[in-house]
Amino acid sequence: MTDLTLPRTAPQTQPYNRHRLALHLSRVGRHLLLTGACALVLGPIVYLVLASFKSIPDFFDRPYGLPQHWEWQNYVRAWNEANVSVTLTNSFIVTSAAVLLSTFLASLASYGLSQRDKVLTTALYVLFASGMLIPVQMTMLPLFILLRQLGLFGTLFSLIFPYTALGLPLAILILVPFFATLPSDLAAAARIDGATEWQVFWRVMLPLVRPALASVVILNGVWMWNEFFIPLIIAIKPATQTLPVGIMSFVGVYSTEWGLVFASVVISALPVMIAYMLLTRQFVAGISAGAIKG
Amino acid sequence: MKTRRFTHLWFVLPALLVYGLFVLYPTLSAFWLSLYNWSGFGAKMQFVGLDNFSEALTSATVYRAAWHNLLFFVAIFIFQNTVGLFLATQLDTRPRLVQFYRTVLFLPVIISLVATGFIWSLMLSPNIGFLNPLLKDIGLGALARPWISDTTWALPTVITVQAWHSLGWSIVVYLAGLQNIPHELREAAVIDGATNWQRFWRVTFPLLAPAFTSLTVLTFIQIFRTFDVVYVLAGPIGSPAGATDVLGTLIYRTAFGVSTMTASSSRMSYAIAISVVLFIVLGAASTILLTQLRRREVQS
Repeated sequence: MTDLTLPRTAPQTQPYNRHRLALHLSRVGRHLLLTGACALVLGPIVYLVLASFKSIPDFFDRPYGLPQHWEWQNYVRAWNEANVSVTLTNSFIVTSAAVLLSTFLASLASYGLSQRDKVLTTALYVLFASGMLIPVQMTMLPLFILLRQLGLFGTLFSLIFPYTALGLPLAILILVPFFATLPSDLAAAARIDGATEWQVFWRVMLPLVRPALASVVILNGVWMWNEFFIPLIIAIKPATQTLPVGIMSFVGVYSTEWGLVFASVVISALPVMIAYMLLTRQFVAGISAGAIKG
Repeated sequence: MKTRRFTHLWFVLPALLVYGLFVLYPTLSAFWLSLYNWSGFGAKMQFVGLDNFSEALTSATVYRAAWHNLLFFVAIFIFQNTVGLFLATQLDTRPRLVQFYRTVLFLPVIISLVATGFIWSLMLSPNIGFLNPLLKDIGLGALARPWISDTTWALPTVITVQAWHSLGWSIVVYLAGLQNIPHELREAAVIDGATNWQRFWRVTFPLLAPAFTSLTVLTFIQIFRTFDVVYVLAGPIGSPAGATDVLGTLIYRTAFGVSTMTASSSRMSYAIAISVVLFIVLGAASTILLTQLRRREVQS
């Protein structure tokens, strides 16, 4: 978005040096300000990384200094003792399965719902969209009972299915307007060539909404990876816990082992951070698309 | 052509089944359960009609929690529309390093609120924290305080943590809005002799209305459903003494008890009734907010 090289309003050549000085000062001021804001944002993150390498005495002796000697052991112990090896795997399985399933179902539904001249489309669209307002606290207990009745309790499916369902409203809100902008002649032409409805969707329409699909994958992926409340209620067994809950229950047991806790927090944040660094532009565009379209 | 009248519904069906089973059905059974007196465990259920609702609507604890949500929302709203908007306008001038600034400022948005809460609870901890020793060392020791366990400062502290987390989001949304404004409009205002201030209020801000609308409504919904950040920083009882208690923690605590899932202190049906009230109020308020703000967009 910012990569567009629009011509900047050319600074008019000022006859007075005073103006040039003011312009220069405002530019310096802007950089100072933005650097300051970045420092406030980065401060806690740098602190987190340093803290994850500290031994317990370091927290008292050097509250904001570098660790006296770097305690790599924190990471090894977090991996083994804090159950991170299990919760990280669970987080990966649950997030990727739910993102794929949710995106697939939402694109099917959005393709159907984008045909505004057909019956029931508006009503169903509103029904899906209203899911954005439901407080999760309200549905959690009935969901808990339902999952037990379905025999999914204690398996990772008890997280995958609710995540998939809760990911649908946002995905449909983003995808329907996108499908609606595609010219209907395209589908008509494909039908005349003998394509089935499925082929029209899969071969013709779906490839054209790829940018919106990226937004959906990123938005849903980030919240599912970070989701805390649902697994807090549903994933009681340690074998099905995901990272955020795993860390929280670990805190209860080792409340003074701060270095360990922070090593597991770093591990939990790292995969999303790496994905963000590699795909910064898609992340920023995707997450702001969620706000603009909504 | 007649055969094609319903084909689009086949595409909707799989999503509708999953959504119906895991979202709509639990929602409807929540409405139904809210009419009973049930702890959440065991089979003892008793129909009580709207009793849970009348209790929720007259409970001082519910209003206190809702008040905290409201303060929380107002503070975040002001923060997004001053600091967030200002930083977005600065980035919109495309200074050198704009990519770097944007990447860094957006970073907290992708970190979980649980992780964010942990980082800040350690930084602010009175025993091993980092802020209080720092304040002492730079001669501002008088400002050091037990942040999260101080009744006056606890809620502002929680709000600050949320503000840190969501600043990047408001910047990016406003930046996208700013970049949609045609440059000719602002140049025309310059030629007409408008000052910077006039240009911002008369030209730029009205054209940012769509970004303002969605940011405000989404923040409203998000803050009234907030849970993670309060739970991690202040625990399920919204300590100290309920100073940080919000509807999210209140509902959680009422439903599942304070520490573990014990039947003794949990009142599931009542908790569900509170969340049903929240759902209805949230739905009504965001519809009103959305229509009012959209009308403003049309006028400008």
